[in-house]
Amino acid sequence: MLNYTLERNHGIILPNQNIGLDVSGDVARHVFVSHAHADHLPRDRYIHVYATQATARLMRARGFKGDVTELDFESPLELENARVTLYPAGHILGSAMVGIESDEGHTLYTGDYKTPPSPVTEGFSRPESVDYFITEATFPLPIYKWQPHEELFAEMREFAFKALKEGFTPVFLCYNLGKAQEVMHGLAPLGFTQQIHGAGYELCKIYDELGYDIGKFEPYSRDTVSDNRILITPSSSLDQPMLRNLKRKRVAYVSGWATHESRRTQLTIDKLFPLSDHIDFFELLDLCEALNPKMVYITHTPNPRVVSHYLSEKGIASRPLNMEGFDDD
Amino acid sequence: MTKPGQDSFLLFCKIVQVISESRGTVRKTDIFADYLSGLGNTSDIDRAVRFAGEGAFSSVSGKRASIGSRTVALCAAEFCNIDYDIVFKACRTATGSASETIEKLMDNIPEAREKRTPSALSLAQVEELFIQLEKERKRDAKQALLVRAWEQMTSTEIKYFIRVMGQGSLRIGFEAKSIINAVSKAFSSDTEAVRYAHMITGSLGEAAVLSFENRLHTATFKLFQPVAFMLASPIESRSVDHITDYIAEEKFDGMRCQIHAQGDTVMLYSRDLNEITNSFPEVVAFFKQKSLPGVVLDGELCVFTDNTIQPFQLLQKRMGVKKPSPKMTGEYPVVFIAYDILYNDDEPLFEKSLINRREILKSFCDTFGIMRSRQFEVKSREQVEDMFDRALAHGNEGLMLKHKQSTYEYGQRRKSWLKVKKPGGSIDTVIMYAHAGSGKRGGTYSDFTLGVSVSEDDRYEEEFIPIGKAYGGYTDVELKRLNKEMKKLIVDRFGPTYSLKPGIVVELEFDDIQVNKRTKAGYTLRFPRFKAIRWDLAPSDADTLMDVEQLYNKKLHDDRKPQSEHQSFIGI
Ligand SMILES: [Zn+2]
Repeated sequence: MLNYTLERNHGIILPNQNIGLDVSGDVARHVFVSHAHADHLPRDRYIHVYATQATARLMRARGFKGDVTELDFESPLELENARVTLYPAGHILGSAMVGIESDEGHTLYTGDYKTPPSPVTEGFSRPESVDYFITEATFPLPIYKWQPHEELFAEMREFAFKALKEGFTPVFLCYNLGKAQEVMHGLAPLGFTQQIHGAGYELCKIYDELGYDIGKFEPYSRDTVSDNRILITPSSSLDQPMLRNLKRKRVAYVSGWATHESRRTQLTIDKLFPLSDHIDFFELLDLCEALNPKMVYITHTPNPRVVSHYLSEKGIASRPLNMEGFDDD
Repeated sequence: MTKPGQDSFLLFCKIVQVISESRGTVRKTDIFADYLSGLGNTSDIDRAVRFAGEGAFSSVSGKRASIGSRTVALCAAEFCNIDYDIVFKACRTATGSASETIEKLMDNIPEAREKRTPSALSLAQVEELFIQLEKERKRDAKQALLVRAWEQMTSTEIKYFIRVMGQGSLRIGFEAKSIINAVSKAFSSDTEAVRYAHMITGSLGEAAVLSFENRLHTATFKLFQPVAFMLASPIESRSVDHITDYIAEEKFDGMRCQIHAQGDTVMLYSRDLNEITNSFPEVVAFFKQKSLPGVVLDGELCVFTDNTIQPFQLLQKRMGVKKPSPKMTGEYPVVFIAYDILYNDDEPLFEKSLINRREILKSFCDTFGIMRSRQFEVKSREQVEDMFDRALAHGNEGLMLKHKQSTYEYGQRRKSWLKVKKPGGSIDTVIMYAHAGSGKRGGTYSDFTLGVSVSEDDRYEEEFIPIGKAYGGYTDVELKRLNKEMKKLIVDRFGPTYSLKPGIVVELEFDDIQVNKRTKAGYTLRFPRFKAIRWDLAPSDADTLMDVEQLYNKKLHDDRKPQSEHQSFIGI
């Protein structure tokens, strides 16, 4: 059995290795941050953490003030009781899975991840096999199976192009870190300038500087947004003046949850694109089989029961790793 | 002639899917009109319009595929080779729709894909499948038919096949009114004429065929063919400008019914236009013995004993019983109380004003000795309140206000008919689930499943069980606070639904309590809504299921004023 404790409402602690994974504060000697989404960042902004270079930049852009030891992917860090290796997780830029080898065995903690990887990430790779696999399962049912990125990008380009041609501003509702840049990368071949709202603009600059193609972009401006621009903004802005005042618009919602038809009436939108930056149900089962662990621990999930049911049919043991108050970004 | 491929069921499904993804009724209507105008023969037009708005069978045909949603779900789980209880149910909870769940599973699960070879079924072939399902009586044979149908379909076809089979609307935000507009646009007919044909024939498909063939003028009323009902809207404060334009009737605590009678032929129809003649033999016998000239009456069925209208709960014992025993009709005798007349002396009366119809009804009922509701002139708002109290004393639900000049038109016609009702009661409940809201409340959690306590109840293992779902009665500020407080209580999430720890107490108001064996509680509340969020109370203060049972029994045995003075109706 893996020796772990849960930090209330946040991350995981491996006490024997003195390691904290996505924890909220200074609760272990070595704290690793898998990626820069809010629900994985430490709430204490002044602690020392380990993270990838890109994650470090994104964290600082989002207000982290502490000390970050930047690690390269797949170059092991030797600690007193463990050897730790970061693997590219394919979720958002900088996202990493954390591999921990110790005399207790080999553990892989996924954070959030996506395989096949998002095209605006460092890709995806993993150890051959592990003893303990701690995996997120945001989409843990067989109703979740993602189309390839390229297919969805082509549909999104068609949607945006048609809207612009007919004199409407295409609006893509998506989370401003990761999903926004993925959408912009998909739309870049159209050649139109994309406007991004608020904090998202600073994050886009980091993607751009690190060499990811997210097309031409500029901050949101009320004066020019209707001028052959594509608008990228979080779904929370749906009720805000920015969108309310934009009369001629076509609105798309981009998220794994867009696979639910009910989202259409809930959000009053024109198009749903089920583009997810999380692994789907079938990919998750395949990966568990490939890693062949002694135990799979399922976290960040609305329902571990179905995954466990399928894993047990494959002869793989699993159990939920209970965490409260998770988010879906 | 229908263009090649235009009559395929897959094309129909794709059009319906596009309609569901389009915003605005005008756009939806245009898409469907355009599709209809490509269909070149009456049978395909009938099928397409019927599938989109009525179901597998015409609403007035009395035919149904008769296959329960649980049977469909079990059959789909087996087809997809998945566990029904563990896997299928969890998926359905996440999507909130069995047909959508089945569509996705059919797409995603390799075994379900391999079993299927879509074979471009035509609308006619799909209709044939429905007819086979209707004829087959045995459940496993019905399931075998379902499997054979699905083997020939794409996942989208399967989704809509299931929805059409369920009768009624397809739940894509495209209802009868829009379908009528699309029909009139496709075949350049007068919308009002299509609407009238729909009311008269009771069938959208039939109205579309008449429109296509330029025969809408032949849509004439026929006896023993039910007419769509006129419905009342809830009264809102200040929604009535001149109260004296209305007459008042007591709103009976019964079941709406349309009676067609001529000589010794008598037929009864329910609000959804199903024939229910055999369920109420005493009413049929009563009308037969009168040997009436051709007539159509609109009114209410009520259990009536001891000179008193009995509670709806007793009538419920009769509803759905196809051939009641003499013991049952003896114990719960039902009468029909008329309040409108739609046809008499070979003449439809829909276009006449209410007071006009009322005169005809009065003389008809008095001539033949048929019960009819009493009507009261309304002189002031204060008087409305007095009449309302008297209606409640009679055990009735409240008052109906009907505009004197209104014609009989099916559906809710703005302010023509209004209902004034009183809340049935309120209980303290806890929030168990929060559901993402729709429409203008998108993005917030505005629908809530509420529970009552069963922690001391030996019949249950749970602490709380659901008693109702409510989505209104709170202010925007309260909703905001609810959403904030709720976050601390989340234990689980299924797609757009959060499961919550008991923590928030809501005083829930409702119109009535009904027995419902299919729910965990055994009771359902009619029209539950928030009365107050009781931040001052803890989950341990919530009412129990026993309390609900007591309320129900009290309502059942409450004293009701007999009809000896200030009668609700005339002609006992
Ligand atoms: Zn994330």
